[in-house]
Amino acid sequence: MTPPVDGFTVQPIPARAGIGLRSEHYQDVIAARPAVGFFEIHSENFFGPGGAPHRYLETIRADYPLSFHGVGMSLGSVDPLNREHCQRLKQLVDYYQPDLVSEHLSWSSFNGRYFNDLLPLPYTPEALHHVIDRVRQVQDTLQRQILVENVSSYLQYTHSTIPEWEFVAQVAEQSGCGILLDVNNIYVNAVNHDFDPRTFLGGVSAPTVKEIHLAGHTVNEFEDGSILIDTHDQLVCDEVWRLYRDAVRRFGPKPTLIEWDTNLPELSVLLDEANTAQTILEAPHARVA
Amino acid sequence: MPGLRELQQAFGSSLGSDDASEIAALVCANGLNGNRRIQIYRNNLFVTLTDTLRAVYPVVEKLVGDGFFRFAAHEFIHHYPSRHGNLHLFGHEFASFLSEFAAAKGHAYLPDVARLEWAQHEVYHAADHAYLEPQSLTAIDPDCYESLRFTLHPARRLLHSAYPVVRIWAVNQPDFDGDQMVDLSAPGDCVLVLRINGEIEFHTVAPAEYRFLVTIHEGDTLGRAVAAALDKDRDFDLNHFLVKHVQNGTLVEFDLA
Repeated sequence: MTPPVDGFTVQPIPARAGIGLRSEHYQDVIAARPAVGFFEIHSENFFGPGGAPHRYLETIRADYPLSFHGVGMSLGSVDPLNREHCQRLKQLVDYYQPDLVSEHLSWSSFNGRYFNDLLPLPYTPEALHHVIDRVRQVQDTLQRQILVENVSSYLQYTHSTIPEWEFVAQVAEQSGCGILLDVNNIYVNAVNHDFDPRTFLGGVSAPTVKEIHLAGHTVNEFEDGSILIDTHDQLVCDEVWRLYRDAVRRFGPKPTLIEWDTNLPELSVLLDEANTAQTILEAPHARVA
Repeated sequence: MPGLRELQQAFGSSLGSDDASEIAALVCANGLNGNRRIQIYRNNLFVTLTDTLRAVYPVVEKLVGDGFFRFAAHEFIHHYPSRHGNLHLFGHEFASFLSEFAAAKGHAYLPDVARLEWAQHEVYHAADHAYLEPQSLTAIDPDCYESLRFTLHPARRLLHSAYPVVRIWAVNQPDFDGDQMVDLSAPGDCVLVLRINGEIEFHTVAPAEYRFLVTIHEGDTLGRAVAAALDKDRDFDLNHFLVKHVQNGTLVEFDLA
């Protein structure tokens, strides 16, 4: 499989359900050509210059719209923006022409050391201005809009002064980026930090939401309490499906991704989850079976 | 109130140590206390990086077992922190770490197994390159052959070990069902790691052939590569090996020195 002579052209992602593309499923996807709206990849999985990953992605790209989802940009870090990382992403985006490119509203490095995790920002005016500036830098480099995703968090800072939803909305409004609304992350944070997840939905405006993520989480029990951890290793739970239904009612149908990263099941399990999301996209007011 | 820089510094240092007091003081203690909350992030970091090592070094893990692997990974992560947002770049020092790791001294072959697995990982993601047309060599004046400098395909690696690493690797594959015995006193391996149609192959090559390829890879001329090979084997057949490595895509470019 070789890419088209003139290169790829952007194929718009429809307001349908898609799934995360993981290397374990490349061959199944190419063989089965499942009827999903799009595939999303982790951008960094294609930072290597050549080999099989690119052959698979070129083949899949020829048939499906793509979304590029980054986990390593460290958007919120006070370190200088990693230019090398950003340039490599630009090369990939220029080549594959994904319809959506996203990153996380978090930080993951300090002083050149990477923690390779999505660490929470304090919701302060200083952090807000910093992230807005960083999103602008990335958008200037890529010469396109990016989406930022709200992350799960396991702590709150005592000096945060802005509600998370307002922080997310302000970043989008002031930088011109879109929002990748992770409904599972909203639910996890609502439980962990004791707020009504519908308040979060109410704080974000429909036109800024360009994509929705759904995933499974895990409950960790300690002797002094329990906490939800965003593990992407199981089925979307009923509460998150209900919240997703509310989100679709509020924002209208949006491209929706089923994320599953660890203990990856067979492709059919992801496709079943995508089908459930697709049903809600088409009839958010219908009763749950 | 801490600035963003102070906060990230405090958070970062608490992830790399057992002391979370500085950051815990900045964290709301509703339910779980700050130390517990930081411990969740510390654990995430360890699990992510350990799983990354596991994915690259499955044979090392199989050889030492899960418990020892986690212990080694913990020490490695502490001494060689991640420097990239791209996790595919994490872990290249694992072989040299293992060669210095006192607890692994009883497994002298481990670092070489790790070297082989890292080469496999790198080659899998390395750049593509067109093969050399065999006819392009026939156009060269034979008097100039000595001065040719060849370039190796980006998806090729050369390594050698005092141990039979390719057999150690092979008998520890999940689908291997033969005799798992490895004679550690057997001659060591010279290995050419190749990527053919996206799949990784390990080819053991003779010492003379290995010297030939290493000399070329170091940027020396064909003449010097042949001399190095003849040093190992007086019957080294240049024509045979030149054709072989053009055909298998290892030698992909040349110019006149």
